[in-house]
Amino acid sequence: MKRRRFLQAVAAAPAASLIAQHPAPPAAQPLSAELPKLDFAVPDAAAEPIHRFFTTSQFAALRKLGGILMPAANGGPGALDANAPEFLDFLLAESPADRQQLYRAGLDGLNAQATHRFAKPFAELAMAQADELLAPLRARWTYQPPADPAGRFLLTAKLDLRTATLNSLEWNASARPGGRRGGPAGLYWRPID
Amino acid sequence: MTNIDYDVLIIGSGASGGMTAYTLTRKGIKCLMLDAGPPVDFTRDRELKPAYELPFRGFGKPGQLPHVFQATEFNANQWVDEKQVPYTHDPAQPYNWVRVRLVGGKTLFWSRMSFRLSDYEFKAKDHDGFGDNWPIAYADLAPYYDQVEPIFRVAGRREGFPQLPDGLFIEDNSPESKANQQFIAATKERGIPNTKMRRSMGRGPLASSLNLLLPDALATGNLTIVPNAVVRELTVDRASGLVSGANFVDRHSGREMHAKARVVAVGASCLESTRLLLNSGIANSSGVLGHYLHDQFYITQTVQAIVPEARGGNTARALIGGGGLIPRFRNLKTKEKGFIRGYALDWSTGGTPDAKYIPLYGEALDKEIENCRGAGFSATTMGEVLPRFENHVRIDKTVKDAWGIPALHIQTCYTSNEFNMAKDAVSTLEELCHACGWEVLAAHDRMFPPGYSIHELGTCRMGDNPKTSVLNKWNQSHDVKNLFVVDGSSFVTGGSQNPTMTILSLSMRASDYLAEQMRRGDL
Repeated sequence: MKRRRFLQAVAAAPAASLIAQHPAPPAAQPLSAELPKLDFAVPDAAAEPIHRFFTTSQFAALRKLGGILMPAANGGPGALDANAPEFLDFLLAESPADRQQLYRAGLDGLNAQATHRFAKPFAELAMAQADELLAPLRARWTYQPPADPAGRFLLTAKLDLRTATLNSLEWNASARPGGRRGGPAGLYWRPID
Repeated sequence: MTNIDYDVLIIGSGASGGMTAYTLTRKGIKCLMLDAGPPVDFTRDRELKPAYELPFRGFGKPGQLPHVFQATEFNANQWVDEKQVPYTHDPAQPYNWVRVRLVGGKTLFWSRMSFRLSDYEFKAKDHDGFGDNWPIAYADLAPYYDQVEPIFRVAGRREGFPQLPDGLFIEDNSPESKANQQFIAATKERGIPNTKMRRSMGRGPLASSLNLLLPDALATGNLTIVPNAVVRELTVDRASGLVSGANFVDRHSGREMHAKARVVAVGASCLESTRLLLNSGIANSSGVLGHYLHDQFYITQTVQAIVPEARGGNTARALIGGGGLIPRFRNLKTKEKGFIRGYALDWSTGGTPDAKYIPLYGEALDKEIENCRGAGFSATTMGEVLPRFENHVRIDKTVKDAWGIPALHIQTCYTSNEFNMAKDAVSTLEELCHACGWEVLAAHDRMFPPGYSIHELGTCRMGDNPKTSVLNKWNQSHDVKNLFVVDGSSFVTGGSQNPTMTILSLSMRASDYLAEQMRRGDL
């Protein structure tokens, strides 16, 4: 039967007669307007990100910073558990040049200060040593960003690492009824056309 | 092909376009409404998602909407794409043009703050000598506010403030929390007025043209809405000099179309309406079209403080929470040294300060945030911006949008009047917080760039003199008598009040006049 004639036949035939020409569907799968709902995973749940923005030394410093600024606590994940540095590596690769420069210079600066004062990179400092380099984060916050680029970087990284952690799959998974809050959720607007 | 002669062509479906349709169709007038955007389906077009499911984990796609500070990764798709509909400005004088192109316009997403203007605005020049008076007084618009407020179901508390006239409110006599009582007492001691926020309750989830105006207009059978219709220009009958309709392009197909009508009412939002008139080359014998752009400057979180008594989880509703509005109180009976006009303050208690305000990190930061969860105080300053001739928009012929329509160039900046006003707002708020014994974490007077408030006004202002204004007191073009511009572009001054109630009332008033003129055969 040619395709056009087949389509005409389908249109003309009562539904019951068409069904009768085919094997009955399995009883457990009744025909329904409701399609099955499948579970899907986000990439972070199934794979490791490929680093593409920070150098090895910059990334090591960022991970160290993440562990200090947003440590795991009270059974919840910290920045490292939430792969926040890995996520920021992706985000910074997509970001405007001034943001990229802030991070690169900031992390290089931390390493330079650490080497100058303690003869080792920031990632290898003891907690007390690292604290000394994080003094700008203990200053009263003002709307005028610090003139010092290192201070500007630290304030930015503090918030970015925190947000990347709180907004992670891992943070959400650690939520408990009556206990730790889940990450933020909201009404997402799809592209409207 | 259907080519109907409509009585009135309405461009835009937001507050002003929606109210124009609502008013005219109920009087039996056949209207065609064109909107540049698609219809929105709140069930189909949005879904609840955790931030981790978003591609950029809630940070948003870098550089996607550089001028829309309100944009988040959740709502990025509700705003106009700046690449599709670009505009230009001097890099040293940024302007945040925040736009929505959906049926219902910005009323789909507005903050619902619902205020009346007073004669401190309508007759501002009489009061302090600056600028111009409106060609109407408060008494002219009051009957229309009286009709608009019940439609939008405005809640508020009657106070008798001359600078913020009362409306037909759903009375809000909800009790104040202890922290709020403390703050209100501090305002009273200083002679600073305070009231409940005045807000449109709407119906169901919205207080929008989409659910409050357009359904009634459609039910009359007198309204046809065509979405995705990007108006390119208004057309003019050369013999009469009157507008004859509009050329528009279908957003999806790119097909060019023409719609005819006896009268055109433009309510495409302040700057889009002016852009349309400029691109059409009409209604500008005064040379004023595009000028006197103003808005309200906003300083969010002007002061961020902690209420010490609420630390450690003492955040029961009786203790803290809720908010209020301090209406303009400067330059009413006294005269300030550094500025004219005034500002309003939208304040609230019960929030949690953002981590950026707390000079700690690691576990210490987490503990401090938990300790002050729900114990915060913050306030937003909303200041009047003076309408100045030099703050203007014009067509930038070198840049065109996705449909080849020339873009707008926006040139505006704030001046010492606004900056001095902002400093006064900060010191006032700090004084009030200190008087309450609250811990001020941060205070600042850094306003967002012009446009941020999404209250762009002026550029097509009304007036009695055709040489200094574009519209007469009925929102009707001085030059083209069958052309009305019914949105916020008609404002002469804006005060510190959210303008939506005034836009709705003006468009209803203009529509009443328009209908009467049609009935008499004058249009």
